[in-house]
Amino acid sequence: MLERVSQLPRAAVFAPLDDGSGRVEVVVRRLAEAIALGLIADGDQLPAELELANALKVSTVTLRAALAALRERGLVETRRGRGGGTFVLAPADPSTARLRRRLRELSTSELREIGDYRCAIAGTAARLAALRASADNVARLRQLVGRLDAATSVGERRRADGRFHIEVAAAAQSVRLTRAEIDIQSEVGELLWLPYGEAVDPRDVVRSHTRVIDAIEARDPHTARALTEEHLDKGTERLMEFHWRLVASE
Amino acid sequence: MSDRHVDQVADRVHTIVADIFDSLDRILGSVVACYRASGSFACADLAGVRPEIFACLSRAHDVVAGAGVIVAPGVLADRRRWLEWWQAPPEQDPIFLDVDLDPESLDFYDYTHAEWFAVPEHTRRRHIVGPYVDYGGTDTYMLTFTAPAEVNGRFLGVVGADVRAATFEALLLGVLAASPTTITLVNGEDRVVATNSPRLPAGSLLPQPAPHRLPLTGSPWSIVTTTGDRAISSL
Repeated sequence: MLERVSQLPRAAVFAPLDDGSGRVEVVVRRLAEAIALGLIADGDQLPAELELANALKVSTVTLRAALAALRERGLVETRRGRGGGTFVLAPADPSTARLRRRLRELSTSELREIGDYRCAIAGTAARLAALRASADNVARLRQLVGRLDAATSVGERRRADGRFHIEVAAAAQSVRLTRAEIDIQSEVGELLWLPYGEAVDPRDVVRSHTRVIDAIEARDPHTARALTEEHLDKGTERLMEFHWRLVASE
Repeated sequence: MSDRHVDQVADRVHTIVADIFDSLDRILGSVVACYRASGSFACADLAGVRPEIFACLSRAHDVVAGAGVIVAPGVLADRRRWLEWWQAPPEQDPIFLDVDLDPESLDFYDYTHAEWFAVPEHTRRRHIVGPYVDYGGTDTYMLTFTAPAEVNGRFLGVVGADVRAATFEALLLGVLAASPTTITLVNGEDRVVATNSPRLPAGSLLPQPAPHRLPLTGSPWSIVTTTGDRAISSL
C-alpha cells in the first residue's frame, strides 16, 4: 500500500481476540480490514503462524483456516522455501490513501450528520417506494443488485450500490429524493465503500438490499424503511469504527 | 359511464395526446429523410432533423419540455449511442441536452433499458411512459411520448417528446375541477397521471382495482371514476 502508518495499528491489529465464537471469521475480518485500510502494507510479511496465533490467542488450526480464507480472497499469499511465509497482497487502489485521509479528517459529528441525512432520505424513499414502485422499478432494482453481486472490483460495487439507492428514490416517484440521493452518492459514495474494500463480504450488502426489495415488492412500507435504516446505521457505525481506528493509528 | 365530465376529460386527453404524436410524426419523417439521404448515417447528419425538432418545441411550447431523436446503438457510424435531444426552457432558445453516455459513470444514462426506448423497439408502436422520475436525463417528473423510427424494418431508434407531469396536469385542470365527482386519469400500471382528488396525488398507485374504468383509445391510459363527492369545499 502507499504509505505505512506507524507500528501502533499493528499492535492493535494483532491484539488478542476475546470473542469466543466464530473465531475464524473474526480473524479473517480483522486482518482483511487492516489490509483494506492499509494498516498492514502491501508486501508486509505476517508474523510466523505460531507467533501470530499466540498474539491473537487463537489456535494454529483457527489461524490456518483464517489465512486460507484470506488467500482465497487474494489478500495474502504464501511463499514457500527460504524467506518464505505469508505476505500481504494489498489491492493497489491509489484512491484508498486519499479516502483514508478524508475519513480521518471527518469528525464523528460530521459522520453522524451524514448517517442521519442518509437515513432521512433513503428511509423515506424506501417507504414510499413500497407504496409506489412499479413492477418495472422492482425489476430494475433486482438487476442492480445482480450487478452488485457480480461485480469484481470495489469501483463496480460502489457504482451498482449507488445506483441502487438512487433507483429506490426514483421508484418512490420523488424527484427531490432522487436528487438528494444522487448528491449523497457523489459526495460520500466512495467513502461509504472504503471500509468494505476487500474487507467486508459484499454478499452481506446484496442480502440486505434484496430484503429491502422484497419488502418494496410486498408493498410493506414499514419493513422497507426499517430494513433500510438498519442497513445504513450499520454502515455509519462501521465508518465511525474505521475513523477511530485511523485516529488511534497516529 | 355517461358522465359528461368524464367525456370532457377523455376528449381533452385525446386532443393533447394526438397533438403530441402529430408533432412526433413530423420529426419522424425528417429522421427517415435524413437517413435515406446519407450514405453512412453519422452524428452530423442529425443536424438535418433539428428544424423539425425546433418547430415541435416552438409549436407546442407550453406543452412539450423537450423533444428529439434517440438513436439505437450501432446505427450511427461515428457514435455508439446518441441523443439528439433539445429542451425548451420558457422564453429561451432550445438547449441541447448533454447526458453522460459513459457506461462506467455513476450518472450513465442507460437509455436502451428505459421503457420509452425499449417498448417501441420491441413493439414497433407508439408508447407513453410515466409519470416517472427521469434521473440522469432531465431530473424531472416526466411523461415521455415516443414512436419507433424504422426504415425497411431496420430500427433506427425512437423520436420522442417530454411533457412535464405538472404541465400535463395543468392542461386538464379546468375539466377536472368542473367535475363534482372524482375523476382520475391512470396509466397502464394504474399510476395516477392526473386527478381532482386530494387523496391520490399524481404519481401514486391506485390502492385497489377500480370498478368503473373507461379505457382511452390511442393511449395506454384509462379514466377511473369513484362515486360520491370529491369532498372539497370551496374556499
